[in-house]
Amino acid sequence: MSNKGNISSLFGKSPISPLQQHMKKVHSCLKEFGVFAKAANAENWEQAQAAQISIAHKEHKADKLKKKLRMNLPSTFMMPFSRRDLLDVLLIQDSIANITKDLAGLMMSRHMVFPKEFAEDFINLTGLCIKTSGAALVAINELDELLETAFSSRQRKIVGQMIKKINELEHETDIAQSEIREKLFALESSLPPIDVMFYYRAIEWLGETADAAQKVGSRFEVMLTK
Amino acid sequence: MEIILQNSDILIMLGIGFGLFMAWGIGANDVANAMGTSVGSGAITFKQAVVIAIIFEFAGAVLAGGEVTATVRKGILDSGSFVSNPEFLVYGMLASLLAAATWLLIASSLGWPVSTTHSIVGAIVGFGAVGVGVDAVAWGKVYAIIASWVVSPIIAGTLAIVIFKSLQSNIIDTEKPLENAKKYLPFYVFFVGFIISLVTLLKGLKHVESLKHLGKDLPTSMMIATIVGILAAILAAIIIRRIKINPEDDSDFSYANMEKLFGGLMIITACAMAFAHGSNDVANAIGPLAAVYSIVESGGEIVSKSALPSWILLVGGGGIVFGLTTFGYRVMKTIGKSITELTPSRGFAAELAAATTVVFASYTGLPVSTTQVLVGAVLGVGIARGLASLNLRVVNRIFLSWIITLPAGAIMSILFFFTLKGIFGSS
Repeated sequence: MSNKGNISSLFGKSPISPLQQHMKKVHSCLKEFGVFAKAANAENWEQAQAAQISIAHKEHKADKLKKKLRMNLPSTFMMPFSRRDLLDVLLIQDSIANITKDLAGLMMSRHMVFPKEFAEDFINLTGLCIKTSGAALVAINELDELLETAFSSRQRKIVGQMIKKINELEHETDIAQSEIREKLFALESSLPPIDVMFYYRAIEWLGETADAAQKVGSRFEVMLTK
Repeated sequence: MEIILQNSDILIMLGIGFGLFMAWGIGANDVANAMGTSVGSGAITFKQAVVIAIIFEFAGAVLAGGEVTATVRKGILDSGSFVSNPEFLVYGMLASLLAAATWLLIASSLGWPVSTTHSIVGAIVGFGAVGVGVDAVAWGKVYAIIASWVVSPIIAGTLAIVIFKSLQSNIIDTEKPLENAKKYLPFYVFFVGFIISLVTLLKGLKHVESLKHLGKDLPTSMMIATIVGILAAILAAIIIRRIKINPEDDSDFSYANMEKLFGGLMIITACAMAFAHGSNDVANAIGPLAAVYSIVESGGEIVSKSALPSWILLVGGGGIVFGLTTFGYRVMKTIGKSITELTPSRGFAAELAAATTVVFASYTGLPVSTTQVLVGAVLGVGIARGLASLNLRVVNRIFLSWIITLPAGAIMSILFFFTLKGIFGSS
């Protein structure tokens, strides 16, 4: 007797846990970049290489999770949030891993070492970005509690606080980013122009991870209001 | 008349055989759907589910199934059309049982969601309209039944939304869900025990000779229903108290322990579902059998008032248990394993809504599909944003099989009707 005839076929696979797993993978990818940045700063290229491979590996895994979730989301599913919003959150989450991979790839291939004037600031900015994406992960992890309470306004307020936290952290990354740029600008005439170009790009990409984490939060909030 | 008298034994034997076949089909299909969620939540083992099914399917059929049995037995057809040829009614009811049971077997082996109720109603209407004549069918009643198939899932869905929202505001979406669950859940159980027993007392018991007097007046019924409700609530409180709470479980998901309490009560919702199912669906097997028996026993007279002998109930109940233990357990296991997305709190809301709706349908004598009512209730919880994902394509498929089942049951019963007519002849 096939499974199709009974009531259990009514229940589709929940997209909640896969979405959370994806964000977890994405966050661990960015965390690995913290390891990479420190190794690169210490000019320990062997360790940096290992971290970069690990980042690429994690990004690949996140990609697989993303595809799997998308494949398991037919439009005939009735969900407590819009399918479009869910897919948007997923895509933004995924962009964090993509940017991280590209950034590590760029720094690795150019053996990029920042001038000691702001090398430490770059490490700090990395830490801030990881924190921001961590805060986004915390919010996403609240999704099963939200479902349990049928997205009550009480539970949504709790998540609202978490999203506020993400925004605050993202704002801090903005400030840190502009400070590094100022320092780089002051040095720029004394450095090889091509290096300077890529320093700017690396700082920009790193900042984009925090931007994406913030977007995850705000898109998530939209998803909850349905 | 002579045909019936000459062949009375063989006709009764055929009736029992086909009735068992039909009841077996119901046990193999429907019971699993009604109780699978409780097995899936881990609150009861499969063996316990079978024991609950035996007791409460029987209780539902005996205590509250009288009205639906009467409808299937003599409400769908206009008995006046059979006075000159009572043997046609016997052939037709036998043919309907065989047709519905055969269709159930075919459809479920193909994996189609098929309703036992729809197949038997389709079969009876089929042989009546084609085998005997369009006037032989009590169309007014048939339209009422069809309307109830549309309305009953909607009522169950609405009720499920109401129950689920009240669970949210009283228990789940509060500062202390665990404490509130302990405090309020017995009240919900009281409410269900009260409603189901009140409905049973007011309408069902009039078909049970020895218990008739209990349901006569409203105050007595209210009192008995209150007592039943209180007993159910006490049972719920005891179950809740015995569940072990582990605060560590709440660190990852803060409602884990509260869900455990709901899970413990799935044993009570399983009883309610089995009772509701028994009160409505057992009639699909024993209604036609009762019709065959009463005509044959009276020697061809169509008596409108005759008591339902208890052995017929045994055929129905026994067949269901047989179906459940030979085949239905597999369905129940599959459902139990794959229905994990329906967490106990949602299962609680959906099953209470479904059981109440089905018992009310039994009260009015309308044969509805328990599975469809449960689907309606689950959709209600989904609409209230309580479920992660529901596959609406299944709802579509259920609707389609609904449309296929009616003519399929009808065509088969027409074939069997003419076959039986050919074998036994007509006067």
